Amino acid sequence: MSRTLEHVTCLGCGCACDDIDVVVRDGRIAEARRACPLGSEWFGNGVVPAQVLVNGRSVDSGVALDYAASVLRQATRTMVFLSPDLSCEAQRAAVAIADTLRALLDSVTTEAAPSILAAQRRGRAGATLGEIRNRADVVVFWGVDPARRYPRFFERYAPNPVGLHVDGRGARTVVAVDLDDGDARGPVDADVRIRFSGAEELDAIGALRASLAGRATGGATEGLASRVGELAKRLGGARYATVVVDGEPGSAPNTGRSEALLSLVDTLNGVTRAALTTLRGGGNRSGADAVLTWQTGYPMSIDFARGYPTYRPDEGAARWLAAGTATAALVLGRWRPVTGVALPTDVVAIGPGASSAFPRAQVAIDTGVAGIHEGGTALRMDDVPLQLRAPLPGSLDTASVIQALAVRVGAMRGGS
Amino acid sequence: MSRLRITGGAVHDPANGVDGDVRDVCIDGGRIVASLPSDAPTLDAHGMVVMPGGIDIHSHVAAASVNQARRLLPEEHGANPSPAPALLDGEISRSGTGGTVPSTFTTGYRYAGLGYTTVFDAAVAPLGARETHAELDDTPIVDAGFFTLMGNDEYLHRQIAAGERDRARDYVAWLLKATGAYAIKIVSPGGVELWKRNVREVKSLDDPVGSPKVTPRAILETLTDAGNALKLPHPVHIHCNNLGQAGNVATTLETMRTLDGRRAHFTHLQFHSYGGERGKSWSSAARQIAEYLNSHKDLTGDVGQVMFGPATTVTADGAVEYLLHASTGKKWVNVDIELETGCGIVPYTYQEKAAVAALQWVVGLELFLLSGDPWRLVLSTDHPNGGTFLSYPELIRLLMDRTYRSDRLKMVNQRMLAGSALADGINREYSLNEIAIITRAGPARLLGLAAKGHLGPGADADVTIYARDADASRMFATPRYVLKGGVIVVEEGQLRRAPRGHRLHVRPAHDDVLLRDLGRFFDQYATVQLENYPVATPKDPPVWGSA
Repeated sequence: MSRTLEHVTCLGCGCACDDIDVVVRDGRIAEARRACPLGSEWFGNGVVPAQVLVNGRSVDSGVALDYAASVLRQATRTMVFLSPDLSCEAQRAAVAIADTLRALLDSVTTEAAPSILAAQRRGRAGATLGEIRNRADVVVFWGVDPARRYPRFFERYAPNPVGLHVDGRGARTVVAVDLDDGDARGPVDADVRIRFSGAEELDAIGALRASLAGRATGGATEGLASRVGELAKRLGGARYATVVVDGEPGSAPNTGRSEALLSLVDTLNGVTRAALTTLRGGGNRSGADAVLTWQTGYPMSIDFARGYPTYRPDEGAARWLAAGTATAALVLGRWRPVTGVALPTDVVAIGPGASSAFPRAQVAIDTGVAGIHEGGTALRMDDVPLQLRAPLPGSLDTASVIQALAVRVGAMRGGS
Repeated sequence: MSRLRITGGAVHDPANGVDGDVRDVCIDGGRIVASLPSDAPTLDAHGMVVMPGGIDIHSHVAAASVNQARRLLPEEHGANPSPAPALLDGEISRSGTGGTVPSTFTTGYRYAGLGYTTVFDAAVAPLGARETHAELDDTPIVDAGFFTLMGNDEYLHRQIAAGERDRARDYVAWLLKATGAYAIKIVSPGGVELWKRNVREVKSLDDPVGSPKVTPRAILETLTDAGNALKLPHPVHIHCNNLGQAGNVATTLETMRTLDGRRAHFTHLQFHSYGGERGKSWSSAARQIAEYLNSHKDLTGDVGQVMFGPATTVTADGAVEYLLHASTGKKWVNVDIELETGCGIVPYTYQEKAAVAALQWVVGLELFLLSGDPWRLVLSTDHPNGGTFLSYPELIRLLMDRTYRSDRLKMVNQRMLAGSALADGINREYSLNEIAIITRAGPARLLGLAAKGHLGPGADADVTIYARDADASRMFATPRYVLKGGVIVVEEGQLRRAPRGHRLHVRPAHDDVLLRDLGRFFDQYATVQLENYPVATPKDPPVWGSA
């Protein structure tokens, strides 16, 4: 016996492809059609642990939630942390808890902070991915090859589709900007390759802006000037250009890059039309930014200690944990360790695989995965909100469990 | 509290012909009733002014675009924190932040604190409607709905190019239903698509948008006729081409003439009433717009007043925002939204000493003061574009108090005010009843909200009670009591309760044959499956159409 659920949204990466057919056989996912390898891995067979533990002992979920509420209420300082694979509905309830507990609040986005902070300083000219699909005739991959972390980007967004205003791959120019460290290289089949060393990158962007604005580029070496000239010719000659950059931490971190590329695309819009495309990882992390923003005004790194949200962009989860600011942690979603940092002893974990990630937590409640065992809403990497479907039943629904905890800590009304 | 008699107040209920009469307002089960038993609880409003709850016909409070603006403004939020209000009966409340684009909970609390009980977000990209519903779910107290953006959608353009008027109408109906929206919003018809093509100016309503058959004029006619054929409660809500440009009065008047004899609503007219010449000179053309509106009864509008102080400009009209960014150097967000529309954002401050800002302020006031029919030209600041909703009380004072107005006029830059009607002197002062019309009864009528904007039996018990004050800005900033659906949400000037608001939406019918053609279009060009596109039907029954 098998059944197939169509139009399922995959949260394996920020592409959020919503055209997956999920075949379920004997209560397990047998196949995720059209999913890329990353997506197939994300769906897996859909079997997740279903334990509810208090100090390692199995209990009823109501008992666990009562205990979780008492742990959090008694904590001196709680940090609420949103890991991936939460729906926006679950994230909304999580912010309510943080608000009521006057807690610290952050999400996995804390690792992608540089691009968000740069956009807050400078603004950002972007587009939804379908605009790139239908319009972009010049696609510049800036030190990133989506093949590895965003496998269907080429096929769904650019450069492969036949769009309304641009034919398929043959009608588009793909430019790979290779940066000289690690694997920060553009796609292998690019039409044009341009290499910048780490030392050259920001100078090159500055010279590129000057060239596009019709100013003297000045100061650049001859070699750099010719590479910049080539890139300026491609970008300036575009009808609609996009510069694609990875917003997630990678092998070529460069704190100035985000801001420089925002400026580049800004300048480019004085000449032609252009959008910066910032690649983001999966699990609805863009949803966390959006939900935090609409409820608090800030996308990440929030401190409710004063009874209202305060922005702490220079701090964030890693620093709060390292400095011991947080004495308890409410970890929600599918846990991904924050680099090199240990959680405090008081941990309440709710999410897929919580019991295995936190076997010694005071409370660990396994729930389903948003988009596999539960529906709701998630945001694609370009902030387009999508419907989640649930190919499999789950034992406990994450949003409902977080809402039930919110009711217990006085953050939400019961029965609402 | 299901029953309540509000006694002794001077009631301003212009929809029912009541102009300051002292009479009781009776409430039972969330609605206004004709009478109550004598032992019903009472609320003493002696010496106070009683009006229906305020209705904002055009605001930007809950949309992906608004949220982009929020994200852009951490410095404003930091300067204006908003602790959770202390509610009665242990009711839970939420903290947030303010500034020109407040967080959602704060938005709901502040609107209610201002005596407003109904709000419409005027510009939601269909693709982002799902987020708008979620944001509105987190915006307490106010009943809310939104207008869905059309007129730059490529599927619509295809129908116009092919002469498929019926299919265009079906598409409009489907899109309203699929997004859970209340009305059709047109922003710069064709202009957003042209901006995506790097065409930055609409020179005439006959400029081709891809095809010679697809022009701003054809788009306006198609959508206006679709809205009227569907008998929607609110007609097309139009943001004309060339917003904010010197000389744009010609475009605005041409748009009005194009739609002559059809129902249509023209929004934030202040931004569309400038004389002069692009790149050269500016002047007020408010008189021409007011006169045209006064003599054409099918047309209605809202003003979009500019108020001095901080604002955030946020619009689907991306080309305008690029110009503002280029001329001011302020930070800029642009989002081109696939197949549908766009979004641009620039934070901006209107300064009294700046010539253009002073002209804009004057043009808005002139529109109000030259309007012959308050039922057809209502109050808005296009929050947060012309100023925030918190500036409405100050605007009301400017309309009601000519001495105050002329004092303020003396303080602004006079350079572009030659020949302006306001500079020449307008004595008109709005009465309390006229204020009640432009902030409640009028918007309700324009929106087709039969149960709102009045205090007759059957109306929603949304009531605002003000303590009289010679300073109208103080009076309107701090209502003494606000009732929403019969619940006292503001008591003695303090927010005390925060019930959930209702969603205002329509569900027009369409021929499902549309979906075959639309499905093919989606398969080829969209990045979201047609099956995943419609939002969940709102839990509240539709205001209009079949549930």
